[in-house]
Amino acid sequence: MEDKPSSSPMSFVDQIVVPGDVVLDLSTMTNQTIKLGGGLRQDSDAISVMKAGKLRFSKPNKYWVESSQKRYVPCVGDSVLGIVVDSKAENFLVDIKGPALAFLPVLAFEGGTRRNIPKFEGGTLLYVRVVKANPGMNPELSCTDASGKAAEFGVLKDGYMFECSTGLSRMLLSSPTCPVLEALGNKLSFEIAVGLNGRVWVNATSPSTVIIVANAIMNSETLSGLQQKIMVDRLLQKIQT
Amino acid sequence: MDARLTNAWRMTVNEKKFIETALASDLRIDGRNPLEYRKITIKFGREDGSSEVQLGQTHVMGFVTSQLVQPYRDRPNEGSLSIFTEFSPMADPSFEPGRPGESAVELGRIIDRGLRESRAVDTESLCVLAGKLVWAIRIDLHILDNGGNLVDAANIAALVALLTFRRPECTLGGEDGQQVMVHPPEVKEPLPLIVHHLPIAVTFAFFNSEHTMVVDPTHNEEAVMGGRMTVTANTNGDICAIQKAGGEGVTQSDIMRCLRLASRNAESITKKINDAVETYNTERALRKIKRHSASVAVDVSISGGDVREPENKFFVHKGISELSRDQMERLNLVSEEKCTSQSSDINGGLSSSEQGRTSCQEGNATNFLGGPSSWDPYSKGVDSDSLKVSLASLGISAPDKHKRGEQKSTQAMEDKVPEDAKPATSATDTSRTGPQMSGEKTLKDAVKPKDKRRKRASSSMNAS
Repeated sequence: MEDKPSSSPMSFVDQIVVPGDVVLDLSTMTNQTIKLGGGLRQDSDAISVMKAGKLRFSKPNKYWVESSQKRYVPCVGDSVLGIVVDSKAENFLVDIKGPALAFLPVLAFEGGTRRNIPKFEGGTLLYVRVVKANPGMNPELSCTDASGKAAEFGVLKDGYMFECSTGLSRMLLSSPTCPVLEALGNKLSFEIAVGLNGRVWVNATSPSTVIIVANAIMNSETLSGLQQKIMVDRLLQKIQT
Repeated sequence: MDARLTNAWRMTVNEKKFIETALASDLRIDGRNPLEYRKITIKFGREDGSSEVQLGQTHVMGFVTSQLVQPYRDRPNEGSLSIFTEFSPMADPSFEPGRPGESAVELGRIIDRGLRESRAVDTESLCVLAGKLVWAIRIDLHILDNGGNLVDAANIAALVALLTFRRPECTLGGEDGQQVMVHPPEVKEPLPLIVHHLPIAVTFAFFNSEHTMVVDPTHNEEAVMGGRMTVTANTNGDICAIQKAGGEGVTQSDIMRCLRLASRNAESITKKINDAVETYNTERALRKIKRHSASVAVDVSISGGDVREPENKFFVHKGISELSRDQMERLNLVSEEKCTSQSSDINGGLSSSEQGRTSCQEGNATNFLGGPSSWDPYSKGVDSDSLKVSLASLGISAPDKHKRGEQKSTQAMEDKVPEDAKPATSATDTSRTGPQMSGEKTLKDAVKPKDKRRKRASSSMNAS
């Protein structure tokens, strides 16, 4: 990375970048719309990096920096797991592991009117989508997708939630399916909801399945694909016997 | 206010319900069975009396220090023991800096009661001058990470620190026998405390659903539990203390069951503590040998006994062969860390005698050829050959110390300082037969199998 000519963006994609690196030079790319995700900043003609991590690119034109940490930085469009802290007149206060509590408007549900405002007590687990995330302001959430349908968002009942790093939750959501989930899915049946803010919810018919799945996922943070498979096999063997 | 609200740890209703449901089928969320303890790791700091204990995610450090003070009026012959706890805000979002909260005070009290009421530490031996001067022992416990069950982890940390603490020896002198002289550790070996037994704290958590009880609760289980009880017991079958502060009611039979479980757990934990302390003492003895290598007629006490010099070496030889490779490597790392502080002492002794002969010193050693070398009183009067022989024979006792670098450099070698475990012994071997080192040793040589080291140790012992 050090000796490549810096003007071509392809040289930085999928590489480790550190704050201060200039990864794109807009003067060479005209008539193109580029979308910048988290960790990147525009300084007139240069796109520079703000967060240390890997630079990622997805067609046609989105760039962002990916890193793994325990705290979450809210980003528009992310699906996260939030815990209700309080309910106010206009919105619910939801904790999404970010620098500030997020607001969930009371009407942001499918078919939500003033007449049927849901009642959430403190500690309710919700699967929500981040609608607005500006630095310094409380993020805004919604329990519907972009078109207004419910689409799996809302309250998660029963099951067990645990926390992990943002990198692990991204790995769990990657496609093709992450090896640990695949290995577990071959033998056990469970349902799982992964929030990009480092929270994972697991539910199954028997508590032992939930515990196995939760521990297997927590252990797979630093393991490679093959190691994850081996770990899951060993865990399942131990339980069987 | 906002930040506190954001950073507070919250439990979901799902988690609460799940933990209770799982416990109904005797399952815990980390896969343990209800009466199982988490893994205990005991580590030591650089000084005597400092310990670091990890119980799963819970992380506690303990420090023991002593001071000469006036005794209490009603106990003129006894020293005192006091415990201070510090709940660091980095351990848990709910810990605030400043005055200790309720749980901090409770933790201190539980540990204090376990040690004081059961008379685990012998306070009468801490008396120096009856009515005038006694030793006051102070235990500081720092909570670094709260993963649940702080009491047990802090108790283990306090016990381990007490067992490895050494207080300075002091003698009475002066015309009327009233003058107290406290000897620094270099002059007289500091003494360990007299600990009669080890009171181990075992915590039980009770849940609202019919008689469910777990041992060693994690942070999540503590948030869900209905009540808790801590039983402090020792291996002699004594119950030293019981603490149950409020919470859910428990039947008599449950309490008896807890007492029995606590005694059983106390035995296994005591064994772990004793093993760890013994490793520490062996390592400390090795360090002692090194430190007094350049001086004469050393009163070295290993594990509390007075041993003559050759017996020391013999003990240490045995100790070496018993040390596992891990410990050797740990000592390696430890020696590397300590090279800045220790090498000044050690190198001082050696370099003054070998300065003339050596041109190339190893990296760390070069930095300390200055001041300290001048004040060592013994090396000047000793001729370099006999010094080298004595050093070489001592050197075999602890081949992993960086001090080996000194000896090798006398042969004008170019070995890396931390990797000299093997080359050191071979160097000292060849010091009799003449230098013929290759100087190309790598880390692999430092990690040679144990039997080779033993062979070398014995062969060099024969040679010397």
